[in-house]
Amino acid sequence: MAKLNLWQQFWFYLGENGNYVLAQFIRHFLISIYGVLFAAIIGIPLGILIARHRKLSGFIISLANVIQTVPSLALLSMIMLVLGLGVNTVIATVFLYSLLPIIKNTYAGMQGIDRTILDSGKGMGMTRFQVLYLIELPMSLSVIMGGIRNALVIAIGITAIGSFVGAGGLGDIIVRGTNATNGGAIILAGALPTALMAIISDFILGILQKVLTPREASINK
Amino acid sequence: MRLRSLLKRQVTYFVLLLGILFLGGCGLPGVGGTSNSQTIRIASQSSTESQIVANIIAELIQHELGYHTTLVNNLGSSTVAHQAMLRGDADISATRYTGTDLTGILQMDNVKNAKKASAIVKKQFKQRFNQTWFPSYGFADTYAFMTTKQFAAKYNLRKVSDLRQVAGQLNAGVDSSWMQRKGDGYPDFAKDYGFEFKRVSPMQIGLVYDAVEANRMQVVLGYSTDGRIRSYGLQLLRDDKHFFPPYNCSMVVNDSLLKKYPKLAPVLHRLDGKINLRTMQDLNYQADNDLMEPSVVAHQFLVKHNYFRGGKN
Repeated sequence: MAKLNLWQQFWFYLGENGNYVLAQFIRHFLISIYGVLFAAIIGIPLGILIARHRKLSGFIISLANVIQTVPSLALLSMIMLVLGLGVNTVIATVFLYSLLPIIKNTYAGMQGIDRTILDSGKGMGMTRFQVLYLIELPMSLSVIMGGIRNALVIAIGITAIGSFVGAGGLGDIIVRGTNATNGGAIILAGALPTALMAIISDFILGILQKVLTPREASINK
Repeated sequence: MRLRSLLKRQVTYFVLLLGILFLGGCGLPGVGGTSNSQTIRIASQSSTESQIVANIIAELIQHELGYHTTLVNNLGSSTVAHQAMLRGDADISATRYTGTDLTGILQMDNVKNAKKASAIVKKQFKQRFNQTWFPSYGFADTYAFMTTKQFAAKYNLRKVSDLRQVAGQLNAGVDSSWMQRKGDGYPDFAKDYGFEFKRVSPMQIGLVYDAVEANRMQVVLGYSTDGRIRSYGLQLLRDDKHFFPPYNCSMVVNDSLLKKYPKLAPVLHRLDGKINLRTMQDLNYQADNDLMEPSVVAHQFLVKHNYFRGGKN
């Protein structure tokens, strides 16, 4: 095995264990997605709420900021004390880290809307709910999407650490690489797909963000 | 109009609530939530050996009984695996070693006799934790000091006592959990053998072999079953004062699991005495040197022995 160079070893490893890598890749992606999804379910309404009630915004955003400053391994261990070992702990950690970008972007997106558009909506007799659905959300959707995009990229990185609480994912492959004799190729086989996953999801969500940018706003640019 | 928007708001709240409930409930598709009571969860440590054996157990159960299994992988030490079992995060601990559990978990004194040590842990785990220590797989993974062949030849090192004259100039790399361990840890080692190293660096156990091969450390404490001893051509130093207690390897299973699945015990007992030291070194070598994942190694091993169906291989 030592005769092969690193890249040959890498391809050899993928050939031998391709199914395993693919299974871990999917698992890794799902863990990240679930965490971000839950953060979006909580974070977007929260962002809308604090955009309506400015007094709350300082408190909520600094709380999310505090969560963000805790090192990921420390946060993971603290949540482990409550939720125990396994995949749920990692999903909860990803959830907490995703809150800040999503809340902040939702808040910023809502704030960035031109007051005159809102006023004309109200002038047309729209209810508050209609203003939200027909004006505010469509106009801030691209900014909110930017938050989700940011969150997902962070999430993929955090899920890799989740290996230490027994959650599986590509982090398992990286850790195993550090344990093996010629671990270089194994580390690559875990790290490259992780990086690739982050780059590809960033790219796809970037396209989505562009598509969702309201036409008026793009004309203004 | 007003009513409709009110209704819409109700729906949004409902969806929100649903989301929160979803977060609380855990059966997420695709990732096999570990609190699922229908899944048998097998704890494995970060060593290759532990992961291979855990995969062997998982595939054996899945193939022979059709129960769903999942691994709780990469746990740092036996203590973590033990805690996971106590807390109900895991049902089976794949690799547990008599010596480690005797001094680490049971906080008892070293027992040098292997049979006695097995009997004690078996009895104590039953009494204290309602867990069953299975008979050994057939190999013992003891701690062993090792150096490169050249270094051993240069200073004429054969046994651990031979280190005494040179220990003052040596950097030693050891497993991080070994440093504070009572009974067979570093403080007692220094007392028993009567010397200390110049510096002792605690590190993840998987890194010590590379460290000694690259001459970053002159002597390291590793596991006797590791495949890299063969691939790096390392020299094991004999424990001439019998300082390290026997480390026979077994699985430990929660009694509640055995009660819940009565068919499980006979299948697990098929592994009793089936993996000897040579076999374990080979399996480790395949994973560590030949770039095969533990799950692949486990699969090939079980297929080769027809899942130990005949009772004998």
